[in-house]
Amino acid sequence: MLQLTDVQQDALIELLNIGFGRAAASLSQLTGHRVLLEVPEVSIHLVSEVAEALERVVRTDVASVHQIFSGPVAGDALLILDYQGASMLKELLTNEPALPLSIDTSAREVITEVGNILLNACLGTFGNLLQVQVSFSVPHLSLESVGAILESLRINRRGLEYALIVHAGFRLREAEVKGYLVIVLSVASLDRLIREVEEWEHRQR
Amino acid sequence: MGAQTAVKTVAGTELDLVTLGATQWINDLSNRGIFTTNTALVICSWNAWLVANTGLAADCAIGRSLFDLFPSIRDRGFDRYYREALGGESRILSESLHKYLIPIAIKGVAGGVEMSQSTRIGPIRSGDAIVGTVTAIDDVTERVVMERELRSRIAALDRARLIAEENSRLKDEFLATLSHEIRTPLNAVLGWTRILRTQQHLKSRDHALDVIERNAASQLRLIEDLLDTARVISGKLRLEVRTVRFEDVVQAAIEVVTPAATAKGIPITTSVDVLPTVQGDADRLQQVVWNLLSNAVKFTARGGHINVSAATAGDSVVLTVRDTGEGIDREFLPYVFDRFRQADASTSRRQGGLGLGLALVRQLVELHGGTVTADSAGIDTGTIFTVRLPAGQSESPPKAPWARDGAVTIRGLSVLVVEDDRDGRAMLVTILKNYGARVRAVASAASALRILAGQRFKPDVLLSDIGLSGTDGLALIEQIRGAASARMRRLPAIAVTAYANPEDRDRALRAGFQAHLPKPIDAQVLIQLIDQLRPRLSAAVKRRRQTARVAT
Repeated sequence: MLQLTDVQQDALIELLNIGFGRAAASLSQLTGHRVLLEVPEVSIHLVSEVAEALERVVRTDVASVHQIFSGPVAGDALLILDYQGASMLKELLTNEPALPLSIDTSAREVITEVGNILLNACLGTFGNLLQVQVSFSVPHLSLESVGAILESLRINRRGLEYALIVHAGFRLREAEVKGYLVIVLSVASLDRLIREVEEWEHRQR
Repeated sequence: MGAQTAVKTVAGTELDLVTLGATQWINDLSNRGIFTTNTALVICSWNAWLVANTGLAADCAIGRSLFDLFPSIRDRGFDRYYREALGGESRILSESLHKYLIPIAIKGVAGGVEMSQSTRIGPIRSGDAIVGTVTAIDDVTERVVMERELRSRIAALDRARLIAEENSRLKDEFLATLSHEIRTPLNAVLGWTRILRTQQHLKSRDHALDVIERNAASQLRLIEDLLDTARVISGKLRLEVRTVRFEDVVQAAIEVVTPAATAKGIPITTSVDVLPTVQGDADRLQQVVWNLLSNAVKFTARGGHINVSAATAGDSVVLTVRDTGEGIDREFLPYVFDRFRQADASTSRRQGGLGLGLALVRQLVELHGGTVTADSAGIDTGTIFTVRLPAGQSESPPKAPWARDGAVTIRGLSVLVVEDDRDGRAMLVTILKNYGARVRAVASAASALRILAGQRFKPDVLLSDIGLSGTDGLALIEQIRGAASARMRRLPAIAVTAYANPEDRDRALRAGFQAHLPKPIDAQVLIQLIDQLRPRLSAAVKRRRQTARVAT
């Protein structure tokens, strides 16, 4: 695990919270319920350690929303929710009971949209910060284990070495659903991101 | 997605044209709506699916501003997705959260139902620059309908499961209540019996006997309710439908509960009109009224009052039982007629009972083609029960079979009792002797046949149990009816039995008994029944009885 300094950590959380705020506003507007999204924790890991780190917190199969982003900063972004969290989130957002995810296409689609909104908001915030245009692929949802997801990432996209794991808490209608945002980056992209984050933090003072 | 398709440069323009042609071709083949715009959000392409589904020709759509063509996109706030797409973002618009992007009325469905759509909106890039947007729309109407059906089916299954669990819980609770309710009167009976046995000169002997009698009667009531419930559940409850004067039924029920009401200081006021008759089973109807009344007495505190009214309303006879008792919680109101339900199922509850009475009331009323409803404004506001029965023809009903005017006597009659249970036999003998009959009692069919064959005791009436060990009562009566002696063939016979179902009664009557009297026996009824068989008695007996009367 790559250690972030306290300053870097605080700055990253603050930035992500801006992105999450934008996502929460979109979700609130869409659903008519007040949705809060918070980032309590951020950590950086080697891609090879991510599966292990995540499997400590999500033990079941997961629903993951995957988007590839490209541009001067490039990589993969994933929102990972366990099955129960995904179903609950869908129920809370649509006010309609969810069926098992394997047969509930609507639920999968809602989760995909939530991931889409969140990933766009976070990476959009990074893009604004870095003053570069990041562009995104169409979001894709898959239902498999964390290990399988990360394994396919590693095989398909060489050069990605680091991952930012962001703990995300959705709060709505007096319930809370926990999810994880995983942003996988190359060394160069990560370096650039952290440098820009530090400078942004500096400018804020 | 996002795969880097390597295209070798042939010649810029030629490649562009080929790619454009191929894209158009693919778009038109696609089973989804696909359109593109430039950065000013003016429509640049419009595929065959969109033409077919919106009815808008490509020529008419291309060159128009998207929001001018479909103002609802902007009105519903979806324009920002296009701004985001121009900023490089790809968006998915789920059906659950957006319903649709472009309003397309579903063919053949009236009332402006829109096609359910799942939409993707993304940027079109050329090198580093974004040159427009692409939108792909899927028709998911069928999927949405299927999922809705699946969801409602699963919800129905869940509800069924919850109801089953609730029923099983209620049955458990009921069993606990049942054990308690059966034990309570037994405790009183056994307790007082022991006291009577040990204390020879008990001053409160009458009180003890009262308690024993009351508790035995209450347990009998309980067991009858249970049996009735079992019959209703198994569909074996049969009504003996006759023309019934409902006011008589109401009056009889009031007479039964009046002592209990008086003891609690609760006056019962009545207003019973002259009613048309109803078609029904008088006993069962009385059970209905009795249950409602005793319920009212049970839940009304001292100082309260009960009103019973019966009137005609249209084609119905309407009975209303109104009390000033503790009322019913509005939340419990829908369940008052459910089996095993009690508002207070706690072990510390103040009122006894099995929670079967009102369930039986409803079943019995419904068997009569009527309805029963309960209403209460809530706790401590009293309760109103209303029974509606269809009115029958207003012909005058026959009197009850053994309702006779004047005093009843069996003095001087000879009665042969066949009962294998010693206590039961002794009781019958005691009752009959108290009423002045001459009695011979035997324990088996064989002994009875010996006596009948002999000359020493010539019975006027035979009382026989059905469930005798050895030859049973049915076989006995068949033998008697098949006998050579005319006296035996004509001997009036009453079955006295614990087999109390209408089927049992039919079997007994078919076998040759004139009457069927279920146990436990009410002495009055027994004597009336024997008396009712009097017209069939021989002239000799009449003479003998008249002699007996003169003698007294």
